[in-house]
Amino acid sequence: MDGVLIPTLVSGLLLGSLYALMASGLSLIWTTLGVFNFAHGALMTLSAYIAWTVSEQFGLGLVMGFVAGVGAAVIAGVLIELLLVRPFYGNRNMMLITVMTTLAASTILERGISMIWGPRLKQLPRTLDGQVSLLGAPVSAHEALIIVLAPAVLMALWWYTGRTRSGRSLRAVGQNPGSAALIGIDVPRTFSLAFGLSAALAGLTGVLLGSIRFVTPGLGADPLVNAMIVVIFGGLGSLGATAGAAYVIGLLEALLVLWLGLYWTPSVLFVALILVLVFRPNGLFGKAT
Amino acid sequence: MTRNRSLFALAALFILALVPAIVTDSYTRHIFIIAFIYGTVAVNWDLSLGLAGLFNFGHLAFFGIGVYTAAILTTSLDLSPWLAIPLGGVTAALAALLIALPVARLQGIYVVLVTFAFGQLCMQVVLSQGDLTGGAEGLVRLPYLRLGDYSFIRDFRFGYYYIALGLLTVSVASLMLLARSPFGKSLRALRDNPDYATARGISVARQRVLVLCASAVFTGIAGGFYAIYLRVASPEVFGFSVATLILSMVLIGGAGSILGPVFAALGLTFATEAMAGIRGLEEARFLVVAVAMILVLRIAPAGAIDIFARLFTPRPKS
Repeated sequence: MDGVLIPTLVSGLLLGSLYALMASGLSLIWTTLGVFNFAHGALMTLSAYIAWTVSEQFGLGLVMGFVAGVGAAVIAGVLIELLLVRPFYGNRNMMLITVMTTLAASTILERGISMIWGPRLKQLPRTLDGQVSLLGAPVSAHEALIIVLAPAVLMALWWYTGRTRSGRSLRAVGQNPGSAALIGIDVPRTFSLAFGLSAALAGLTGVLLGSIRFVTPGLGADPLVNAMIVVIFGGLGSLGATAGAAYVIGLLEALLVLWLGLYWTPSVLFVALILVLVFRPNGLFGKAT
Repeated sequence: MTRNRSLFALAALFILALVPAIVTDSYTRHIFIIAFIYGTVAVNWDLSLGLAGLFNFGHLAFFGIGVYTAAILTTSLDLSPWLAIPLGGVTAALAALLIALPVARLQGIYVVLVTFAFGQLCMQVVLSQGDLTGGAEGLVRLPYLRLGDYSFIRDFRFGYYYIALGLLTVSVASLMLLARSPFGKSLRALRDNPDYATARGISVARQRVLVLCASAVFTGIAGGFYAIYLRVASPEVFGFSVATLILSMVLIGGAGSILGPVFAALGLTFATEAMAGIRGLEEARFLVVAVAMILVLRIAPAGAIDIFARLFTPRPKS
């Protein structure tokens, strides 16, 4: 058992890190605008394809691919905000309408990607070669980088939204856009900022994921479902609870795969989700309202 | 008003019942059949999303469960397709009961997330249980319908046309009756003014459970029929594309109007099939539908989504 348990925990940490990166992007937009971005996964996919084109097809190397991928995701994210979210701002049913428009955006991105790049599988090179030892288990250096990078990014995000002027303006707009405008915060610009930042997180996750899994038009959609489970468990409101839930789900998923195999893991995870919601409708770490 | 709408619906039904006499080529009949199936799914989605104002984004899961119920029962258990199709409605209603347990107590975005995740997880389960479901390849060569010596695949889709039209008619008629019943009124009351409706003794949780199960029955039967008709079951039915297409039928037809989504289903199915025939547009048709949906939401919010404006009572955002 010992021989399998440690690698399982490490793979759980890896999954948790990826979910934490995704869920924090979703939570950032939710707390600022009250919008759930269903196109988050498609932004990850877009970033991975752009990175692949720049680094492999143009041969400009992974660093340039990384920059181009994240840049493309940010542009697409800001465009989604401008075209599909902003026109509905102030509408009483904004939450519901933006669910539909971002869902449509995700269809447009996914279909567009499969039309441009075709169905052939692609793979990004790893950021780091070689293996390292983590808790005595051998891990590829690339995966170890993700495990280290995710908490660092989360800490940076936490520091940014809590300690800097522009980060705190995000929270001010989220809590009360009217008062935020009165004290001189440019509210529309803050919306773009939130979407851009979240899209940058999506882009980063997409490029990192693209060298672990094959790059397909569905690259981002599959983990997005698990990121949704994460935000249902942890609630969308706070970064800490979201990140905590991401690691709980990641470890749980890895342990379930070890105990039950890939065959039953999705079903059991979902039954666990339903049970949690029946007994705790506000999520695992949520407070009663 | 409602009288006029019923007359209008009857006139439309009369015309549709005469179509096979005029249209004899099996391809056009095929598009009609697909449109009737999508129309059935769309009106039932309209029941939960439009009429009851429940943010259900997992409706296509009920359809997919119907598809796989019929497919698995006819291949693994050799059950007659005549029995397997209605059983699709039963399993879909049971799945609706399961998902209704948490949904009954959730609020706002969390309803969207749980129902959406449910649909995606159904797909993951189908993909992972490959022995039973055929995995990513799906199940093929399902048995077709027969009635004594009469085989439904040798009549240029004449029989299938009337079964699909019958399914849509029964579904629309029962929804129109349901919308006028005290139950339908209580759903609209909860949608338009939840606080007042609750104060008058309507239980949010109970009505949500009932409306999800009711909307799943015909959707599951439509799924079962879809599988037997096409003789395949593929995991694509759970995907984003079909969901976006049917959601756009509900929105373009006008959520909460019951008849609107039926006509939108006919129009959109013919439009997407026509696009599939044009070279270069096969892949792009779902993209076009998604753009159309966004345009409807932006340009005609009063027409197509007028109902959403009344989903909530006016209440300040705090």
